[in-house]
Amino acid sequence: MAERGRETLRFGPMKPVGLTNAHRPEDKPYAVVQLRRDNALGTLYNIVGFQTKMKYGAQTSVLRTIPGLENAQFARLGGIHRNTFINSPTLLDSQMRLKARPNIRFAGQITGVEGYVESAAMGLLAGRMAAAGMTGQSLPPVPASTAMGALVAHITGGADARTFQPMNVNFGLFPPVEAKGGRRGRKDRYKAYTDRAKADFLNWLGEGPHAAAAE
Amino acid sequence: MTKILHIVGGGMAGSEAAWQAANMGLPVVIHEMRPKVGTFAHRTGDLAEMVCSNSFRSDDDEQNAVGLLHWEMRAAGGLVITMADRHRLPAGGALAVDRDAFARAVTQALHAHSLVTVTDEEVTTLPASGDWIIATGPLTSPALAESIHAISGSDALAFFDAIAPIVHADTIDMNVAWRQSRYDKGETEAERTAYINCPMTRDQYESFIDALLAADKT
Repeated sequence: MAERGRETLRFGPMKPVGLTNAHRPEDKPYAVVQLRRDNALGTLYNIVGFQTKMKYGAQTSVLRTIPGLENAQFARLGGIHRNTFINSPTLLDSQMRLKARPNIRFAGQITGVEGYVESAAMGLLAGRMAAAGMTGQSLPPVPASTAMGALVAHITGGADARTFQPMNVNFGLFPPVEAKGGRRGRKDRYKAYTDRAKADFLNWLGEGPHAAAAE
Repeated sequence: MTKILHIVGGGMAGSEAAWQAANMGLPVVIHEMRPKVGTFAHRTGDLAEMVCSNSFRSDDDEQNAVGLLHWEMRAAGGLVITMADRHRLPAGGALAVDRDAFARAVTQALHAHSLVTVTDEEVTTLPASGDWIIATGPLTSPALAESIHAISGSDALAFFDAIAPIVHADTIDMNVAWRQSRYDKGETEAERTAYINCPMTRDQYESFIDALLAADKT
């Protein structure tokens, strides 16, 4: 932003209007850096409008030239991160294959799952699906009642393609558990989800090709 | 002709996919451009390098969907979860790991597998033939993303997450800074003082801009 002109910041996120220095009310600041609360406890503040491409080392020293931040400790430095993902609900079939090129599967965060665990899980499925297909073994679809099945069902069709955004695994992706008499507490409901998932997952593993255990 | 499964990307998904396919008897080639071609976020050439945090989140397999995913991966002989368990650190109910030891262990296990080959050959277009898994992650190269876009003829989309720096509040000098919302906006005292403000004189502003423009950028 600063590259667009020396005054850009002073008329943008650093504009001094509507603010009076509580310590020196008679001095009108030329520019003001604002920090906004970042957590409920009020222990963290983010610097408003300071999304930056500066390298981490340079960032700390430049930010500490801001009056009041000379001794600031940073919980996280700024940055601009590319996050690429495909519109899986429209592009992939239920086997995680590109509909337009079935020789190509996708797995991991590029499919619109979020997180290390979800990525590894989608890799696990994609690896098994590819290997089963290429070696002529049959692999039944992983049940949607399992965590892996719920995630893959979400990205390959369950999600709304128009609003598709990266997703973490959560119980909202699972088919609802049948309530047995009366309202269940949340703990009981989650336990019911995980009990059902474990039974269905073991059953699925038993039906499929047998991979050697890790190591 | 023996079929070979090619996997592009040696992160969590690519590493796990390679392990599973190889354990089902299929020769696998992992294409991981690091360390030959780096990314701004990765530090090493190890497979399964953890870039963001060192946590695999909740390990509660009864009350949490992530913990359940851990459980399922253990049941399925997952490499990532096996090595995470082996290198776990004390972290309450979470599965946090020593990230360097974890990544080295995943890397060594895959290199040691007789059916797995790792190459640093970069893949920039979607291959027309052969069997492939694309697991290139959130930092997929623009060239490959463009190729996906061209072939799918639809929405392969990319977006940017911009993150502003975050400061520990107790390290801000409140003898210089003060609490106030612009134009004192807000219904409550808390809202009227929601922001912390750091004032600059003209000289301070000019030297700040100089420092900003001179700083190394990514």
